[in-house]
Amino acid sequence: MKRFDCMKLLAAKLKDELVVLSLGGSVDEWFTAAPHMREASLFQQQLGCLTPEAFGLAVGLPHRRIVALDTDGGMLFNLGILATLANERPTNLTVFIWDNECYQSIGCPPTHTAGIVDLEGIAKGAGIPHAYTARNLEEFERLATDALALNELHMIVAKVEPMVEPDLVRKQSDGFEDTVTFVRYIEKTENVSIIGPTEHN
Amino acid sequence: MSITQVAVNEILQGLLEAHVSVACFLPESLMKELFPALVALEDLRAIPVTNEGEGAAICAGVWLSGKRAVLVMENSGIRSAAEALARLGIGAHIPVVMIMSYRGDLGEPNWWAIPHGITMEPVLNALRIPYRIIRQVDEIRTAIAEAYVTAYASLNHVALIMASDVISY
Repeated sequence: MKRFDCMKLLAAKLKDELVVLSLGGSVDEWFTAAPHMREASLFQQQLGCLTPEAFGLAVGLPHRRIVALDTDGGMLFNLGILATLANERPTNLTVFIWDNECYQSIGCPPTHTAGIVDLEGIAKGAGIPHAYTARNLEEFERLATDALALNELHMIVAKVEPMVEPDLVRKQSDGFEDTVTFVRYIEKTENVSIIGPTEHN
Repeated sequence: MSITQVAVNEILQGLLEAHVSVACFLPESLMKELFPALVALEDLRAIPVTNEGEGAAICAGVWLSGKRAVLVMENSGIRSAAEALARLGIGAHIPVVMIMSYRGDLGEPNWWAIPHGITMEPVLNALRIPYRIIRQVDEIRTAIAEAYVTAYASLNHVALIMASDVISY
């Protein structure tokens, strides 16, 4: 199963949701697969922070669905968030994990999921009952459809090939521009002020 | 020894006056009376976390939503949160306001807490995080208000460090 194909399926299901996604090859794949979600997507470059940030958004905007697009390496960096999510149970958070079993952006040395480590099992053990693994596109679409339809915390591990789709549109912006773009979109859609204006602006 | 009830009340009042609605925390001993008080506060959601970096990232997400959060921890937490704070603050300009206890200050009787005092200010400075060491209870509310003003104007983190006589060893 290719991550890019999963992304295209998922993108077609999203409209008013907010997305937080991880670093590496998935950035340009999501930028290309979901052009209608570019303003609504926060492109982050930090292992272990992404799902916690998505959870923080879910806490602050309980009426809105938040989608985290995390990775095996990112989730393994801070498995503690699964325990926090299990206790806090955000009903408006859906976590997808692109599990390619390697650190792809540095040449694909294996992550622990290349061994016997099972992120779905870890999540279930933490206390997240709606944790699943998709191994083909049909499974992924069914699980994603269910997760986005239900008001319950879901975590879906998508077992994907260790590859990046060729000929992608490249995202040109840096972290600051990404933050401001995302904040302006939230300000516009939530009718709130987050950055500025200042006294003489 | 720990924090006085007056100081706990001032912190709670300061957070509410600053319109803070979420507090992420990893409990520690010097402010131990603060944590159940945060949990009991009706107008604030208290979220226990597994490590300080996770707490920083959750607070970052709350800020992105247009709400205000605080990360409460021991000063050793600045070390474990350093990776998240560097990427969130210097990399993405997403601010996190922190309240931490000053372990390892002069008068610290525990050998294991000495590294916290030695490393706190160098780590804060390395991360380019402005901070204020608060030694008097009547400084607390103003410091909290000013921390949010500076953090959100600069899009950078700010740390408030509760020291003796706000806390005691």
